[in-house]
Amino acid sequence: MPRTSKPRFNWLGLGFMAPALIVVALFFLAPVIMTGLFAFTNMSTSTGITGGEYLLTQSNLRALENSGVSDETFETLSTTSYRVDEAGLARLAEQHNQATADEFRTLHGDTVFTARRDMERALKDLNQNRIRSTRDRKAAAELFTSSVLDERFVEETDFRAALANAGINDADHEILVTEAFTGWVWTTENVELLTSLSSSARYAMNTAIYVIFTLAFNVGFGLLLAISTFYLSPRVASSFRTIWFLPRVLPPVLYVLMWYWLTWDTGIISTFAGYFGFAPRNWMLDTATNAWVVIILINGFVGASLGMILFSSAIKAIPSSMLYASEVDGANRWQQVRYIILPQLRWPILFTSSYQTLSLLTSFEYILLATDGGPGGTTEVWALAAYHTALNNYGGNLQYGLGAAYALVLVIIGIITSLLYLRFFNFRELVSKPRIEN
Amino acid sequence: MQLKLNNFTKTFGEVTVIDGMDLTVNDGEMMALLGPSGCGKSTTLFTICGIHRMNGGDLHFGDRDVTHLPSQQRNVGVVFQNYALYPHMDIRDNIAFPLKVQKQDSATIKRKVNEIAELVHIPELLDRKPAQLSGGQQQRVALARALVRQPDVLLLDEPLANLDAKLRLEMRSEIRRIQLETGITAILVTHDQVEAMSMCDRIALMRDGKIEQLSEPSEMYNNPANTFVAGFLGNPPISFVNAQVAGGSFTFGDNTVAIAEALKPRVGGEVQLGIRPEHFGPQFGTGVTGKISFVETQGREDLYNVTLNSGGMIRSIQPAGERLKMGDAVSWGVSPEAVLAFDTSGDRL
Ligand SMILES: Nc1ncnc2c1ncn2[C@@H]1O[C@H](COP(=O)(O)OP(=O)(O)O)[C@@H](O)[C@H]1O
Ligand SMILES: [Mg+2]
Repeated sequence: MPRTSKPRFNWLGLGFMAPALIVVALFFLAPVIMTGLFAFTNMSTSTGITGGEYLLTQSNLRALENSGVSDETFETLSTTSYRVDEAGLARLAEQHNQATADEFRTLHGDTVFTARRDMERALKDLNQNRIRSTRDRKAAAELFTSSVLDERFVEETDFRAALANAGINDADHEILVTEAFTGWVWTTENVELLTSLSSSARYAMNTAIYVIFTLAFNVGFGLLLAISTFYLSPRVASSFRTIWFLPRVLPPVLYVLMWYWLTWDTGIISTFAGYFGFAPRNWMLDTATNAWVVIILINGFVGASLGMILFSSAIKAIPSSMLYASEVDGANRWQQVRYIILPQLRWPILFTSSYQTLSLLTSFEYILLATDGGPGGTTEVWALAAYHTALNNYGGNLQYGLGAAYALVLVIIGIITSLLYLRFFNFRELVSKPRIEN
Repeated sequence: MQLKLNNFTKTFGEVTVIDGMDLTVNDGEMMALLGPSGCGKSTTLFTICGIHRMNGGDLHFGDRDVTHLPSQQRNVGVVFQNYALYPHMDIRDNIAFPLKVQKQDSATIKRKVNEIAELVHIPELLDRKPAQLSGGQQQRVALARALVRQPDVLLLDEPLANLDAKLRLEMRSEIRRIQLETGITAILVTHDQVEAMSMCDRIALMRDGKIEQLSEPSEMYNNPANTFVAGFLGNPPISFVNAQVAGGSFTFGDNTVAIAEALKPRVGGEVQLGIRPEHFGPQFGTGVTGKISFVETQGREDLYNVTLNSGGMIRSIQPAGERLKMGDAVSWGVSPEAVLAFDTSGDRL
């Protein structure tokens, strides 16, 4: 008798699933979430990924031009002032003696000198403890500088106090604090930058070229291999397939190295072409076209082997009687391929295309190893741009935040297309439910 | 068109599946290739249509030597056991396929497809996909596709094996009707003797890659060449007993069966007797005694197994009526004219 028990929560099942769930959380969810978070920060090498300090520099001031900060503030910030405060007096006591410091306090305690000349005169005009040498006076004056500029403050309150001390208008504090902060902050700048940079459009264009042509090569060549090996004797076919599988099992560095040997100006192609009087050239990096052809071939041969395996097994799954039937019906090889085999490979082809579109969108390792985006950025695809921005920048300032924003675009495209594919392929399953004979 | 296989040999690697077979199918004839599973029927069929190559011998369609021609050039129609319809094409395209690959113009294709659909009674199914058809309908489509380009021969590989009992009966007569209407030369491969006997003009009964006997169904039933043929045809099957020839009778244990006059000169010593169930019963007198060991009622008829007192068993089939029970002792007779006698190696005497 069939038992109709309610589905119960099964702890044992959860136990078995746990490792998989942890892996999913750790290696899939966490990176996605972190990418999403990083994308909305201005993290970079200079901000670090932990906290920050407050440091106002000349370049900050330049950045603040036209930002509404008052001219007085600029004036105050860019001129050095001298404040006779306890800290300065302590330094003076140390450098000279306590008496000098005490006298200076009595005469000028809490005075602010805005000109070095006035400060030095005040030091010179001490009654008992006159500092005679000009050099000593200059040094002593330095002890009282109270510029906010080029001064590091660990705490925001200190920085604000310094601003107030320097006599800077309260209205300008906020903007200065923001500008002076050296740590990372939340921002939507990256997204704005992405949409406004002309290089983004070019990366997108490059990615489209890369994905479309590589995919076409993958699928086309995979199909060609699968179909041609199908008609070979099994032993020849399997050795053929093994050969074409090599690019996939070879370590990428080694595989790309072989392409170097092939394409370098002292490489195989150049040497061979040399016999026919062609000047040697770098067939990988000479022109943008060269670079694209090489990149599409490098990736294409790797991808084609996957297509070949998938398509081969799909062809083998076609009942042999169906192929016999087509031959008996008079179809030649070409007609058999065209009318019987290809139509039945429709779903494997669609599946491979969708799957490889996704992986090509995010893959850049072969481009990185081969052209590194060159020549002159012509083969810089989106994923490679993300890598370069975030992890390997010539300038040395790695822009994690901007890089994450690049990556986030890929993540979003990836998730949307995956969901579409899932629906699409499930739908296919639904419509092909086996029918009951009547 | 006449089909002639000459000294046909087929090997798969080391294994010789068919060894020197001769077979002639006359123009317009429907020939059954009958035999147990694995005896080489499909191999023969696939060789005739060119899917397998012959390792020896030759094959003629009429005067045309097709031994070395590929399938595409042989002009044969084949109905495969699983029908092998193209799942991605609708029925119309399935049937049109042999014409399409010949690049016939679409008007001609359309006309021929409609004609053949009429012949096999499926004009209303043309726009469906194979997966939307029942087994019997798929069978008709497969027939239509095989016939649409008017092949020289039609080959059917176990066409009824995948159908349920009712459809099988229906398609049995349908295939025969279509074959007769088109007058095509056909070979039907089957392991089912009823199919072979009911559908075909002649039967080639095969065993282990050889034809044991080739004759018309009734001839093969009444005049089997050996015990294999006798045992293969007939349901319920023939019973065999070992007997001695003594004093004008076959004797086995305390049982005696008279020897027909015509048979007398040919028999002596040890023989095997083949007794069909319809030739053993009370209506043939007495002389064979035993106990009923099995009773089966088949509606119009009753089937009995009689275990002889001397050992061995003979089946009997009788019109339903007086019902005997298991264990009842009987003494029944055998029709002497109908007894088949074989020598100890199984050949007919
Ligand atoms: N392609 C093949 N390769 C090897 N052996 C085969 C092949 N096809 C059939 N055989 C063998 O040949 C014998 C006859 O097979 P077949 O013609 O299919 O028998 P059937 O009479 O049941 O149709 C069987 O023993 C089978 O195993
Ligand atoms: Mg078979």
